[in-house]
Parts: sequence; C-alpha cells; structure tokens
Amino acid sequence: MKRRKFDAAALPAKTAGAVDDRFQVSTPLRKLLNKVFPDHWSFLLGEIALFSFIVLLLTGVFLTFFFEPAMTEVTYDGSYAPLRGTPMSAAYASSLDISFDVRGGLIMRQMHHWAALLFMAAIVVHMLRVFFTGAFRKPRETNWIIGSLLFWVGFLAGFTGYSLPDDGLSGTGLRIASGIILSIPVIGSWVSSSIFGGEFPGTIIISRFFIAHVLLIPGLLVALISVHLGLVFKQKHTQWPGPGRTNENVVGERMFPRYALKQGGFFMVVFGVIALFGGLFQINPIWYFGPYEAWVVSAASQPDWYVMFLDGSTRLMPAWEISIPIGDGYVIPPLFWPTVVLPGILVGLSTMYPFLEARRLKDYKHHNLLQRPRDVPARTAVGAMAVAFYIVLTLSGANDVIADKFHISLNAMTWAGRIGLLVLPPLAYYFTYRICLGLQQHDREVLAHGVETGIIKRLPDGRFVEVHQPLTAVDGHDGHGPALDYVGWVVPKKMNRLGALGPAIRGFFYPIEKPAEAPVSPGHPPVEPRAEREEIGSGESRR
Amino acid sequence: MTSDNDRRRGLLARLRGRPVARSRGRRRLGAAVRLAAALMLAGGAYTVFAPGVQAQDNPPLSAAANEGKALFDVSCVTCHGRNAQGVEGRGPSLIGVGSASVEFQVSSGRMPMARQEAQAMRKPPHFTDEQVRQLGQYIQELGGGPQVPNGNLREGANLSTGGELFRINCSQCHAFGAGGGALSSGKYAPSLQPASDRQIYAAMLSGPQNMPVFGDNQITPEQKADIIAYIQETLKHNQDQGGFNLGRYGPSTEGLAIFLVGIVALVFASLWIAGKS
Amino acid sequence: MSTHTEHQAPQGREPLDVNDPRVSRFDIVQEGARRDDIEIVHYEPQVVPGSRAERRMTRTVASFFLLTGLAATAFLIIYIWWPWEWKAGRGGDKLYTPLLGLTLGVALLGIGFGILTWGKKLLPKEVSIQDRHDQPGSPEERKITGQTMLYMADEMGVRRRPLLGISLLAGLAPVGAVAAAPLIGGLIKNPHDNNQMFTTGFAPADGGKTKIRLIREDGRPIRPADVSVGGQLTVFPGVDGGVSNKYADSPTLLIHLREDDAQKSRAANATKGHGDYMWGNFVAFSKICTHAGCPASLYEQQTNRLLCPCHQSQFLITDNAKPIFGPANRPLPQLPIEVDEEGFFVAKSDYTETIGPDFWERP
Repeated sequence: MKRRKFDAAALPAKTAGAVDDRFQVSTPLRKLLNKVFPDHWSFLLGEIALFSFIVLLLTGVFLTFFFEPAMTEVTYDGSYAPLRGTPMSAAYASSLDISFDVRGGLIMRQMHHWAALLFMAAIVVHMLRVFFTGAFRKPRETNWIIGSLLFWVGFLAGFTGYSLPDDGLSGTGLRIASGIILSIPVIGSWVSSSIFGGEFPGTIIISRFFIAHVLLIPGLLVALISVHLGLVFKQKHTQWPGPGRTNENVVGERMFPRYALKQGGFFMVVFGVIALFGGLFQINPIWYFGPYEAWVVSAASQPDWYVMFLDGSTRLMPAWEISIPIGDGYVIPPLFWPTVVLPGILVGLSTMYPFLEARRLKDYKHHNLLQRPRDVPARTAVGAMAVAFYIVLTLSGANDVIADKFHISLNAMTWAGRIGLLVLPPLAYYFTYRICLGLQQHDREVLAHGVETGIIKRLPDGRFVEVHQPLTAVDGHDGHGPALDYVGWVVPKKMNRLGALGPAIRGFFYPIEKPAEAPVSPGHPPVEPRAEREEIGSGESRR
Repeated sequence: MTSDNDRRRGLLARLRGRPVARSRGRRRLGAAVRLAAALMLAGGAYTVFAPGVQAQDNPPLSAAANEGKALFDVSCVTCHGRNAQGVEGRGPSLIGVGSASVEFQVSSGRMPMARQEAQAMRKPPHFTDEQVRQLGQYIQELGGGPQVPNGNLREGANLSTGGELFRINCSQCHAFGAGGGALSSGKYAPSLQPASDRQIYAAMLSGPQNMPVFGDNQITPEQKADIIAYIQETLKHNQDQGGFNLGRYGPSTEGLAIFLVGIVALVFASLWIAGKS
Repeated sequence: MSTHTEHQAPQGREPLDVNDPRVSRFDIVQEGARRDDIEIVHYEPQVVPGSRAERRMTRTVASFFLLTGLAATAFLIIYIWWPWEWKAGRGGDKLYTPLLGLTLGVALLGIGFGILTWGKKLLPKEVSIQDRHDQPGSPEERKITGQTMLYMADEMGVRRRPLLGISLLAGLAPVGAVAAAPLIGGLIKNPHDNNQMFTTGFAPADGGKTKIRLIREDGRPIRPADVSVGGQLTVFPGVDGGVSNKYADSPTLLIHLREDDAQKSRAANATKGHGDYMWGNFVAFSKICTHAGCPASLYEQQTNRLLCPCHQSQFLITDNAKPIFGPANRPLPQLPIEVDEEGFFVAKSDYTETIGPDFWERP
C-alpha cells in the first residue's frame, strides 16, 4: 500500500477545481478579471467619494463603541479641566471622552468628520464631471438620479452626525432645523413636535438621530452606492472619444491586475490623505462650543460646507411673510421659501435634468462617448449658471466670516449676495456660452490651418505671416492639407503636442543618455489589432 | 483709589473663603499667594499715596498725570478736546471713562486713531506702557471712573467657571474660539488672540465702542479672572488639541480646506494615476 | 473541453487549442479575453526583466513599503508612550493627535504610492477593447418575454375573477395602514399640549398670583444695580429648571439702556401700547430670534442694535426690537418687567407675543 503523497504545488489547482465543481465560477470569474475599464483621471473622482465612505464606515464603527446617544444630564468629570463640573448631556460628555479620554479617539473623530466633508465634496465634484461631459445621457439617467439622491442622503447623514455630539454649535443648527420644520405651512408644528417628541429640544432627538445616523441612513447609502456601482458595472463605463473608441466598445485596461492595483493604491492614498487631515487639521473642536444651551451662541455659527448653501439662501431671503387672514390668521414665514421650497426645486431640477435635455434636443439614442464641455455650449452654460448660483449661496452662508476677515460691512455682504444671486448666474451663462463657441472655433481653425508655430515669415511683397504647421500631409499649392473633421477629442494646439518641441534632454534628475531599448515582450509575439474597426466617430448614427 | 483697595481685599477674602471645586487653586493658595496679595496691596497703597505727596505741590494733578496731560495735549487733544471735554463730531468726552478705558484703547493701539472709521482697529501701540499709565492717570484724575486693578489678574481662577461665563457673555460676538466676529454695518468684535490680561479686564470694565459694559456688579472681579484665565489658557492659537486650527473660523474654513487641500491633492493624485506614465 | 469547442471564435479566427503544449500562457489569456469579446490590441512591458530600470523601480516600490513599516512603527510608539492627557496651555499633549495623523497618513500613503508605482511602472501597459453589447433585446425577444408575463397574468385570472383582486386590495390596504400606524401613532405629538408653544417659564405661577423672578445663569435673582449702564445680561425664569433647555424658549436679554436711549425706547413702547413694559431704563427682550430661533444676542451698546449671528437679522432695541435688516420679519417679543418689594426684577406677566420662529397657526 502506497502512502498518498501530499502535493503542495497541486493544491491551488485542486481547490480551484473543487470550488468550480460546486459553484461554476470559472467563466464568470474570468469575465470579471477581464472586464475592461477606460482610464481617465476624471473617472477617479467618484472613487474618492466611495473610498471616503469606506473610511467613514471604519471610523464610525470605532466611534459607536464610545458614544452614548442619550440626553440624560450628567456632570462632566473627565480630563478636560475647563468643562469639569459643567452639567451636560451624556451625548456631549461621551463625545468629550472620545476626544480626551479615549486614547487616539480624537484622531478617529476628526478623521470621521473630515471623511464626511471629503465624501460630500467628492460627490459634488464627481457630479460636475458627469454633468459637464454628458455622462448622464441615455442609458445612464437612472444612475444620475441615484447619484443626486446620494448627495441628499449624504447631506442627511452629515447633518444627523453633526448634531450627535449635542454641543453648542450643532445644537444651534438643530434649533434652526426645528425652525425650518416649524415653517412648513399647516403641518409644521405637528411635524416638529413629533420629531422632537414635544417642544424643542426635548430629550429624545439625539437617540433618534443616532439610530438614523448609524443604521437607517448608512443602510440607505450602502444600498444606493451598491446599485450605483452595479449599474456602472452593468452598463460599462463611458469613455472619451479618441482613436479606436466608438459608441459600441470600451477601450482601456482589463480590470486585473494593473487597473485593480491602481484602484487599491488610490484607496490607500485617499485613506492617507484623510488620516493626515484628521491629525494635522483640527475640525469641529466641540470642547470650545460647550454643551448645547438654548441661550448660548457663537459668532460665525455655520453649518458644514454642504449645508452652507441653504444657510446662505436663508440669510439672503428678504423678510417677506405671507399672512392669510382667515379665522385667527395664519402665516407662511420667510424661512419656508429658502429652506424647504428651494431644496425641493433643486432636487426636482437636478434629477429631471437628463430627461429635460433629451426632450429639448429630441435625442433618445444611446450615448457611451463623452462630450467635451465646449461642444455642448448650452449645457455647459446651464451648468456654469447652476455653479454660480450655488457658489453665491455657499459664500453667503459664510458672509459674516468674510465680512469680518476682509473688513467688509456685513450688511453690504448680504446685499452683494442678494444682487449677485440674481445677476451672476445669467452672466455665467452668457460668458460660458461665448467661451465654448470661441474654443470650438479655434479647434476648427487649427484643424483647417494647422498649429501656430510662432515663426513669422516675411513674404516677398513685404507682408508678414505666421507659419502654421498643418496637421496632415500637405497636398496642393496653398500649403494646406485636406481639412480634418472634428471628432470630439483634443486638438493639438501647440508644437510640443506634435512632438516638435519635446524636452531636449530626457530625465528628471539626471539625463537619460541613450534611448530606452525597445522592449521585447517575452513569450508572446506583438499583437495585431482586429482587422475591421470603425473609424473615429461619435457613433451617433448607429440607431 | 480706596475703593480699589477695598475690592482687592474683598477678592482676597473671597479667595480664602471659597469652598467649592477649587482644589488646584486652593492647594496653591498658600502663603505665597497671601504674600503676593500683601505685596499687591502695598503696591496699591504706594500708588495711592505717592502721587498724593506730589499733589500738594500741584493740587489738581499728580506728577504722572501731568506727564499724561502733556502726552494728551500732543496726541489726543485734536479729537477729545481741551481737558478731555470731547469735540462734537470728532471724539467723545473722556470725563468719567476711567483709566480702564484709556488703558484698553491706547495700549491696544486703537487710540490714537489714524482716521475716522466704523470702528477703531487694533494696531501696534503708539505709546509705551509707562506713557499709557500716565495718560490713564490723567483721565482718571480728571473725572474718575473704572480702573483695572494691579497684580495678577487671573490668580486662582477656575477655568470651568470661566468657560461657562465666556460662552454666555462673550462668545456671541467674539466666537467660541475667541477669533472675533462681524457686527452690523462694518463693525466687528475683535479677535481676543492678541489681547493681554489687562486689556481684556479693561474692555469688560469699560465697554469700549459697541461692547456692552460688564461692570463689577455684573461680573465680579473673580469671575473676570476666571474668564481671562479661560481665554489665555485654553483659547490661544497654540493650545489646540487637534492640530492646526484653520484660524478657528468654524466650518467655513474647514469646507475651504477640504476643497483647496483635500480635493486638489487627490485630483493631482488621480492625474498621476491615470496619466500616461 | 467540449463546451469550449462550441464557442464561436470571433472574426473567423481559428479557435485556440488550449491543450496544445506549444501554446504560451499569454496565448491562453488572449484566447480567454477573446471569448469575453475583448481584444488585447496593445501589450507592452514597461521594463526589461533584469534591467537597471527594473531594479530601480523595484527599489522605489520597496522603499515605499519600508517607509510604511517605519511610519506605522512610529505610530505605535507614539500611541503608547507619548504623554497624551490634556493639560492647560501649550504642552506635548497638543502634539499627540498631529503626530498620530502624520505617522498614520505617511504609512497609508506609503502603501498607496508603493502599490500605485508597482502597478503603473512595473506592470505591462496594455490597451484592450471590449464590445459593449448594450443593444436592447431584439423585438422578438421582447415579445416573448412580454407574452410570458401576460400569460402569467392570464393564469392568475384576475380579469376573469375580479372579486379576487378587489378583495385582495381591500385586505392589503388596512395591512399597509397597520404597518404605518405604530410608527405614526408612536411618534405623533400634539404641539399644543399645555399651550406650550405660546407660554414660557415667565408665566406667573399659582394661577397668576406669583410673579416669576428673573434670575442669572447661576440662579441668583437680579437687582437693578447688577446691570451696568450700557450692559446686558442673559436672564432666565426663576422656576425649577428655568436655566435649562427645558425652558428653551425663555432666555431673555435684560438691557440697561442709557438715559437718552431709554427715552426713545419708552416712546416707542408707548406707541405699541407697551407703555409699562420697561422698568426704569431697563428693557427685556426675548433672546430667541423670531426668524429661526437662534439666540439673537449680539448687542451693540452704542447703536442699540441686536444682531442674530445665524442669519444676521438686526433688531433695533430702542424701537420695540423691530427688525431693521435681514430675514426676520417680526420684532422680538418684549417681557414686561418690574421690581418686587425685595428689590429684585420680576416679570409682570408672561410674554404677550409668541416666542421663537414663526409657524402656520401663530395668531
């Protein structure tokens, strides 16, 4: 009887075989490993949001081990002497403990907060990228809507989290939130009283916000993010137009190993940046704010940046109250319009935009190729208008800080915001539109006449002309090649883009003397492209 | 001046008799402190009596006040008028504002003003400490008014009480982090970062410009000491627990930082990652 | 391998025999990609194996990883041994969090850039093309699926047996309501219990007989001499829990006006029928902003403006705290005050207007 020899080398293959026997994964796994992703820096902006979210989950779980979501009154006796003996809620006391008595708790809290700011910032930047490149068009409207919802759900996550420590600043924010809810006509006071469990602030709101912040909202976020990513996977990523790229293919790298390595590396970079922020930049120093007390407030009370546009709209709103003289009389306070109606309109407009644009252009085709912003001046201009609107509101949300630090009158800042909100967006629209047209025209000129060389030539008759480098071989007498068609991609506009003015010496620290030897692929011949491939084009004629 | 001595004595009595949560202050409030207080009293007595000796030669003004008058007649008289009676439309009368007010305005460089504006700004002081004291003495002797006591202004202070008083009385204008804030129509509450103990004390006593007055009946000298200690020992810019404080302007600079530093750094990273090596 | 022979090689290429020993591993990779409609059109190693460039890159990546190890070790050392407990003033504890952040950040960035350099500089560059296959299903396919679903509906037979559908709906609707009822029923609270939106802690106790004192944050009652001229004081109702968030609507600002300002204020009060609301040169206004409920408490003693730091509403104290700038549209309510026999401030009555932010049914 022969003893069976254990063959370690065959183990992986055997295990893999056993797994495939049971789950039939080999084909789907290969498809996954081989999936092709297009590569462009702007496609990584959404990843920043995803990675910040992962950091939020990690640090958030840590914080829940120490946070006590209760408004029971306790007397603080932790190590931060300036608050010792102060009566406060258990929530605030435990937040102080995280900052001062849990070793390394402060950096976790700060990383969590910074990750939240980065999450929202990346969502906005990613959204701008998707908007200005037309990536939201059919078939990706659903993902656009999910993305817009993610902003608002993230907004809620941020606001509930910001309120949890029950400190002076967040309590002021909560008070404003209760004022906003109160301002809703007919049902306002009932909704407010139901949420706060009676009159503001009550004793239950922190526990309710806690469960929303650690369970309901993250659950919703995880669900929406999963669908968002699943749809990107299913519908395949959009790509920029370019050589070999059509509406029907994806040109890029297979997911493994290089693309996946880059993703993993980028995650660590995002994580590292958040860690640096969490340690080096102080955020939300709740120990200065003190416990929330309805009579305590600070100058420069602001919400986090992604709420600031609503604070700004509230500051700019004139004091217009609508009185309804029926019975005892009813009122719609001025607070209602900038904080309830405006966000409602913004949600509606942003989620519906893909359909509005498709309807206006009567464009119901599939689009997998991105557009350069200049090629769609109307959309780009509308986007610029929205950005101008948003920036004016956000800056107005900090108008007291700006007034203070730049020695401008506060009242002047408010008026500047009011006027700016009406004047700047149309101006942004007009100028963006004109700039887009100008850039388009310049692209066409370069395609027709070539790149400016900067070389001035004097003609025999005394005229001076600039020599242009045509982009194609010259045929004919006028020094021009055949006019090239614009294909929606970057037109080289400088001589060095044509390779004419490359660096004389290569190398960063020291010159690379000899040209790098042509790499020879070991074990496989150079690959040939597929024979019939479509020429560059937007591919819009397909359907 | 005698009222000042009374107040000092009162403070000392209170410090001795205070039973609550002052373990740190209490422990150290030994003989050394009493000695310091005694010295302070002696110093106070000296300032009371020393000018008095001179005063016999020149009944209305002491020597220091005379020096102060000379300075006043050079630098202040344009706006505040002869004998500090004030000039309509230029500067208020200084009768009764006390040396506290003078000390605050002059030692923080707010006075003399360079030009008329919504609010006097903090500048490098124009006068030396000695000259400030002389000016203050002059105004004090002209019309009396609140004075900043001498000696350590945060002796035996309680940070916790100070914090609570700061948040209820000061933070609404000067902000939680003592970074200052805007008021209506171009006025502002200044940052407390460069303020000295005496300047804070003087400001509370005199209510400069639009700041409300916090007299000793409203916030006692020992409460003032608590507030000063809280500002100086926990709110100064190098006392942050969590790293660089971004100017303590609250969420607005935090938002700015995440875009200008965070997003910019990560966009550069992604440019490199997706770049054609 | 029988399943693989069925696979149609694209573009008439000969299907690769993966069992052929002459076939390289890369050929198999390419064949696999092809079966997933992926064409690897460009594949180029970036470094020659064994070259100086490769060794240099390897060293770079390795040093990134070693940096991570160093930084992480430093993190642990600092975490354990650095004096981290809070002390007043400037001390080593103020560096604890920054040092942790720095070491952790460097550690993570080290891994990140190590991996990135590995992927970017050492792995072969490639360009692959994958077909999207995002055409909608053929009309035939759609029709078949549609008919299948309709057939399912036929099988259910709701159209023939309408009673089933109606009764199901009739059953489900209450069940849905049952699901919502505990949530709504549990959360809902009448905002008008005890008339709470219209009363504050200053409402006289014992059926209007006992007037409520004004107290300071430490509970002491207030004499007129306690507030300096040009000073302001935050006051609270002298009831149990008056200085707490239980009475979040009650905090009040007591202001001692200068003589000429007080005269203006009195005149303004008279025009509003509040002639007896002031006591001497003292006025008391609600600290809770009528706009969004922040404490409007930035009192400017020379201009007599009260600024709210949240949305910059400005109220003119000498004119019944009328809003003169910003989004607030209602004056701050004024508390009628007087001094009792013992010389302490009391509220004559509760506020006569609603405190705090406006709402629909505010009369």
